[in-house]
Amino acid sequence: MTAAKPELKPGPISRLKFSWDRIVQWSLVLITVLLVVFPSWPIVYQSFLDSPLYEKARNFTLNNYTHILGDMHFWRILGYTLAFAFVTTVVAAIIGIILAVLINRTNIPMRGAYVNLVSIPYYVSPLVLAFAYMEMYGPQGFGTILVRMLGLPTWQLYTFGGIVVVAAMYYIPYTFLYASSSLALSDPQLESAARIGGATPFQTILYITIPLLRPAITYSVLLTLVSSLELLSIPLVLGNSVGIDTLSTYLYTLGVVGVSKDYGAIAVVSIFVIVMVTFLVYLQGRLTNLEKRFVTVGGKATRPKLLDLGPAKMLVSVFVGLYVILGIILPLACIMLESFVSFLSPFMNPLKVLTLNNYRDIFLTPAYRQSVVNSINISIFAAGIGILFMALVALTAYRSTFKGRNLVKYLALYPRAFPGIIIGIGFLWAFLLVPGIGSLRNTIVVMSIAFTMRYLPLGFSAISPAVLQISDELDRAARVAGATWLGTIRHIMLPILRPALLSGYILLAISFLKEYATALFLFSEGSRVMGTTMLELWRQGGAEPVAALSTIQMLITAVLILVSGRLLGVKLHE
Amino acid sequence: MNNDLIIQGLTKKFVTGTLPALSNINLTITEGQLTTLLGPSGCGKTTTLNCIAGLEQPDEGVIRIGDFYMTDTGRKLILPPEQRQIGMVFQSYALWPHMKVFDNVAFSLKLQKVSGSEIKKRVIDALELVDLGDLSGRYPFQLSGGQQQRVALARAVVTRPRLLLLDEPLSNLDAKIRETSRVWLRELQQRVGITTVYVTHDQSEAFAMSDKIAVMSKGNLLQYSPPEELYEHPATQFVAEFIGATSFLKGIVTSVEGNKVSVRLSNGDEMKISDHSERHWQMNNEVVVAIRSERVEVASDDKQGGNILHAGILSSTFLGSKWQHVVDTGSGSLKVETVDTVSEKRLSLFLPPDSILLFPAE
Ligand SMILES: Nc1ncnc2c1ncn2[C@@H]1O[C@H](COP(=O)(O)OP(=O)(O)OP(=O)(O)O)[C@@H](O)[C@H]1O
Ligand SMILES: [Mg+2]
Repeated sequence: MTAAKPELKPGPISRLKFSWDRIVQWSLVLITVLLVVFPSWPIVYQSFLDSPLYEKARNFTLNNYTHILGDMHFWRILGYTLAFAFVTTVVAAIIGIILAVLINRTNIPMRGAYVNLVSIPYYVSPLVLAFAYMEMYGPQGFGTILVRMLGLPTWQLYTFGGIVVVAAMYYIPYTFLYASSSLALSDPQLESAARIGGATPFQTILYITIPLLRPAITYSVLLTLVSSLELLSIPLVLGNSVGIDTLSTYLYTLGVVGVSKDYGAIAVVSIFVIVMVTFLVYLQGRLTNLEKRFVTVGGKATRPKLLDLGPAKMLVSVFVGLYVILGIILPLACIMLESFVSFLSPFMNPLKVLTLNNYRDIFLTPAYRQSVVNSINISIFAAGIGILFMALVALTAYRSTFKGRNLVKYLALYPRAFPGIIIGIGFLWAFLLVPGIGSLRNTIVVMSIAFTMRYLPLGFSAISPAVLQISDELDRAARVAGATWLGTIRHIMLPILRPALLSGYILLAISFLKEYATALFLFSEGSRVMGTTMLELWRQGGAEPVAALSTIQMLITAVLILVSGRLLGVKLHE
Repeated sequence: MNNDLIIQGLTKKFVTGTLPALSNINLTITEGQLTTLLGPSGCGKTTTLNCIAGLEQPDEGVIRIGDFYMTDTGRKLILPPEQRQIGMVFQSYALWPHMKVFDNVAFSLKLQKVSGSEIKKRVIDALELVDLGDLSGRYPFQLSGGQQQRVALARAVVTRPRLLLLDEPLSNLDAKIRETSRVWLRELQQRVGITTVYVTHDQSEAFAMSDKIAVMSKGNLLQYSPPEELYEHPATQFVAEFIGATSFLKGIVTSVEGNKVSVRLSNGDEMKISDHSERHWQMNNEVVVAIRSERVEVASDDKQGGNILHAGILSSTFLGSKWQHVVDTGSGSLKVETVDTVSEKRLSLFLPPDSILLFPAE
């Protein structure tokens, strides 16, 4: 029963007050678009040019594509990369899941300590991990020589298998952490129901607990796959001397080490990688959506009873302990020890060759010192500004009436498809192309912007769940009470988001500190960071200064985690 | 000056191609009065309220208080919520968890740059208005549901808004407190004399509190009347069904004399009905007879002045203060209430003329 439309009589117009809301939202979206577009278009552009994009005489061509795609060498490298990524992912996922279940759901001794120890590689740069394994288990490694001295058989680290093991060590915490937090969230009543239905504890784990982990497993497996496809450091450090190449090391050799740089080839390989990773990221999104049906919302009234492994629990605990000691603690301890001696060898008593010279070298050489200072500045300031920016982007995407807010979500997550090294290439070329901004390359501003682009998805997805958890009535109430959109963010949203912002900040700071791939192409005199200096020193053969830099980096990370955890109560993982 | 809230032609579609969430809603709410939006879940009550608040942007329509135009789609005017000077209480109360009660209430005043001493005075006044003077130093999580609801109310009225919007403010309270709260809320609204739009899907709440009730269904406004009129003269069968326990029997019109209509039910029983609606009935119209169970009496066959129906008892339920029986009249089932248990298997039902309403069959 709808009446005829009434006559709408015009009345006096109420005055619409000026507000910054739209302007700020537009700027945020514009910056996000620029962050994604700025480093992408030079790569596309270059892939169709017959000479470097900064040269005057350049012509359009398709030769780059035919050249690369017709090159057997390229396909061999692609095959090797895929095999490496695939095997690494499978190994890391299986060990990660087993560890997660053992540590979270069984009564093995020491489980409390293992939770933290197993996660350590997550916070360590893969570059540092590669150096640590090289120093411990490489052909001239401390551990290798020690074992050989005992007359036992040794191993070959610089092989496909060796590289896979080290990469898997780096990625195990991914699966472990996602599976653990999924275990913590899952409803214990589901397990109790299985027990009441007649399942033994072991059957419960096999048929209920692990299948319920599927969304976490799918997610972390694809994350590992994407990340290992673009992993540069471990294959580079361990495979370089024996001629092993993946797409990333190939790009690195083409662009950084090579004498005559083939810009066209770099561009085409980059585009190839981006397309491949985009597909995987898309798949990850689709699969994660499909897995939503597995999500269980739990009343967490009762903690699940731990599975009693009986007499086997001691043995299992010893195995996990060996994994932690041999796989994580010894290599990292080895590289730390090396940083304090002039030469590390099992033939010498390390106490006799103790020295601080390695650190002195780092701090007295201006270029090295600067790389440490730069890294710290980037990780403190750029990460701070970065997380605020990412939070504002998330708030625009989820809490505004901005028309294109759905697009913002995709845009903010899209950089996942860009390997760090390619982001570096894109920014570098963009700087070569746009006149007048070249001098910026010498400052950490550029580095900060490139890192922000690389980790936009990380920050965005660290903040988004917290934003979505806040009832929208809270911000609506503030609007009705007279606050603008910006005022609501300032007075209501950001204060409530404080814990998420802090842990997002620490996560971002650690990532910025670790980051090296993005910087490789991009850095110049004034903008080196710890990762680029380490690689430079490594190529010059300076193992001890590399160890010192690695130790400094791990120390800063540890301080960040401990201080934020103790003083601010930051929890990086549930 | 007249400061009625006027809503004209309000239309809102969330997804193009589907039925609108609101279609052409017209309402005038007299200054100082309380109007309730009543309707089943999903009928568009919250959407209407959000359009008034500026939290949702309608596709079409005008919303104004007197000459203060807040929404006028024809001129592309949609004031953002913060410029509308209204107060609102949300279903979850939406108290900001990081602010104490005092700061929650003081928030708008601070934004308006009111002086510190004035803020203090007005916040305390507002908290006293809702009988919570001594809780200003607590955090929201330290309050009971009823107290939270009153803080939300204090926060909504502290700015002396032109308009108060309440979205199911009592639905999170348990039944006992809900009843005392609605009396208290109504008294407070009348004391302050603030124009109020109240949303609920509880019809007894709507009857107890409102000056006028707007019944909505699927985005349409079905009827807008004072409570008594709504009860006595529901405009459609849907409204009659929604506002009271009513049974429906199908029939055919056999004679019409003025407002006296005779209807033959499907088993042949004749019913005489004095119809107060404006409808014009004709012979052989298919109709629905709506019967209010609370007006039906169990009586002897010789009672005069109404219709008598004979019915067999299908089931009886004890409700505490009374019995409710479902009976079969031969033309459909009816609900009937009695104070005492009934021993007979068959009943004679006396239906006074005012217990019966007549609607066209749908
Ligand atoms: N953001 C939205 N997007 C799409 N559809 C919506 C949205 N918000 C509301 N709707 C739809 O509009 C209709 C009216 O919703 P509304 O929230 O106004 O109902 P309501 O009367 O308040 O119901 P309830 O009593 O359950 O609160 C519903 O069909 C709802 O599904
Ligand atoms: Mg609602």
